[in-house]
Amino acid sequence: MLLSLDDLLALLNDQLGLTVSAASVDDPLDTIPGWDSLHLLWLITTLETRTGRRIAMAEFLEAGSLAEIYDVATR
Amino acid sequence: MTVTNQAPVSPADSGGAQAPSAYERLIALKNAGQLAERYPEIEHLLAEAGEADLLAAGRLLAQVDPDEVRTRHPAVPALTLAVTGHGMLAPLIPALVGQLARHGLLARTRLGDFDGYVFDLSDPGSALYAAGADLTLCLLDPQVVFDEVPVPWQVDDVDQVLTRKLHLLEQLAGTFTSAGHGTLVFNTIPLPRRHTAQLIDHASRARLGALWREANARLLRLAEAFPALVVLDLDPVMAAGIPVSEARSDAYAKAHLSQELLAEYAREIGHLARSVAGRTKKCLAVDLDNTLWGGTLGDDGAEGIEVAETYRGEAFGAFQRVVKQLGSQGVLLAALSKNDGEPVRKVFREHPGMTLREDDFVDIKANWEPKHENLARLAESLNLDVGSFVFADDSPYECGLIQRELPQVGVVRLDDEPAYHVEKLLRDGWFDTRVVTAEDRLRVARYAEESQRKDFLASFDSIADYLRELDIRVRLAAVEASQVPRVAQLTQRTNQFNLTTRRLQPADVLALIEDPDALVLTIHSADRFGDNGLAGAILGRWRQEPAGSRVLDLENFLLSCRVFSRGIEGACLTAVLRHAKARGAAAVYGHYRPTAKNGTVEDFYPRNGFVPCEDGAPSEPGTAAYRHDLAEITAAPDHVHLTENL
Repeated sequence: MLLSLDDLLALLNDQLGLTVSAASVDDPLDTIPGWDSLHLLWLITTLETRTGRRIAMAEFLEAGSLAEIYDVATR
Repeated sequence: MTVTNQAPVSPADSGGAQAPSAYERLIALKNAGQLAERYPEIEHLLAEAGEADLLAAGRLLAQVDPDEVRTRHPAVPALTLAVTGHGMLAPLIPALVGQLARHGLLARTRLGDFDGYVFDLSDPGSALYAAGADLTLCLLDPQVVFDEVPVPWQVDDVDQVLTRKLHLLEQLAGTFTSAGHGTLVFNTIPLPRRHTAQLIDHASRARLGALWREANARLLRLAEAFPALVVLDLDPVMAAGIPVSEARSDAYAKAHLSQELLAEYAREIGHLARSVAGRTKKCLAVDLDNTLWGGTLGDDGAEGIEVAETYRGEAFGAFQRVVKQLGSQGVLLAALSKNDGEPVRKVFREHPGMTLREDDFVDIKANWEPKHENLARLAESLNLDVGSFVFADDSPYECGLIQRELPQVGVVRLDDEPAYHVEKLLRDGWFDTRVVTAEDRLRVARYAEESQRKDFLASFDSIADYLRELDIRVRLAAVEASQVPRVAQLTQRTNQFNLTTRRLQPADVLALIEDPDALVLTIHSADRFGDNGLAGAILGRWRQEPAGSRVLDLENFLLSCRVFSRGIEGACLTAVLRHAKARGAAAVYGHYRPTAKNGTVEDFYPRNGFVPCEDGAPSEPGTAAYRHDLAEITAAPDHVHLTENL
């Protein structure tokens, strides 16, 4: 399955209880209310299961914004 | 519409694609800002949640302020969990929060610094000890050892590190025993193939395997030396197919244990937490048709049911053996079946293939009444709280009915594959406890005696005549070291006659024995029908009042639900008051802390000559204090023959 940016945002909102929108995709992650670096590990597993593709974890962990996360996840 | 479709919070009963999952309901509560407000409902919401939903629920609940939940719901038992260890352990926190919520408990968690376990546990002044946690979890992973072996390494190098680490862990357990509070949890250290396979010869691999297991065996045995320590064996968890680690998280995030393993670890901790909080289940109520045997007795007849020999029969037989095994350790067994009574009894008495027999059960209710009514009656006759029952049935209808009508009951949903019955029953460690005592092994016999007592009672006109004929003998004595596990267990299992519901671990009781100001008395009782064993305890503490007089505080008074309301409590209290007076006490204080379950003893002290204390009474908030000036001590009821050894 292909992942759209909206899918990613919906996942974060529905599964982590965050409130993120297209307006916050370029914000630094640590400015997103409720964000925790621990979410990244969960997100990788979840995205890999959903898309059936392997994500480069080292780069993923270095991502600074949701836009960068999306970029690494769909590369 | 069937009954099960009306279940208010049980997602598995809701049926249909539109019904929101447990998790969706939880998200709705979160979005409405009601997670804290409706926390008591969450236990039932999560009763049927799968692994993924539980973890997701834990992530949401970890964001809720435990203090807000406690303020709104003071009755929800809260446990503080301190987590320390070697690797990155943050993912464990939501898993723990979710598991505790599932058992109706509230978790306050404290995560130590990365790789901080040695500092946290060796320094009695550390933040970890300051947290005063009920459970201190120290997670050990393979890197505890392999981070310290040289490159390249030999088996001898690993041996040396293992020896050092075991010594260190023993010291840490010792420090915890003297400086800590509650229970410390270690785990066996997994040995992943990525390490064994680095050795190319089988002889070295075998030696590494042997040394590693010897170290884990020593680790497991540490618990024998330190009563405050529990060592979780992770081998059976991994044998069920749980991976030790995920290579990328291991390498990049220093998360040396996989999320799946942490989730299973959290599940085991949930069971331990339930026992620490006094919520261990006590009775297993099982269905019969297609639960204990294959087929329907009413249709197939005694010769037609499967309990041995056939493929499915073997599976049912295996399940019966496990149920019997639980029963042998003090879990009360009951049967609830929609059947005629006599054919069911005949099967238990005469069927050659049955493992379970009539005397394995405290009660067999085979009739056509709704099961929730039978279960409620059973609880009443055993004088047990309905919340201490687990119910196992293959029928989704019956499971849904119990879940809806008696949401406090633990429900094990079996299905039409009997080979899975055993795993489903054991999955949730419903009956897990720190120690099984001699009392536990005799419990079924004790309850059988109780039912004879009830029949005997029915033959008397007045309760006073009955009590006189019962020939009650009570021994009130100072505690002995061998009774420590049983006294701790009484504080954990007793909910009704438990004046302050302070749960103690064996290490806490030991500390009381060694405290010269503490008084720990045990109550044994027996009557014409048998010995009730160690059925109660009184915990007191001597102190000096500001005015200089010496007084005794009764910090707790406990009596098993099997023996109260027969005058035993009054006789023991009278003996303690006389003892205090003889030792020069100016007064004795009794304390009562209300819980959802101990309302029956609310007026225990005032009924026995104590008067409520005014403001500034020597009691904690939420606890009522009563004072007895020892001027006039009520006489003990004369039908109780009391021997003292104080």
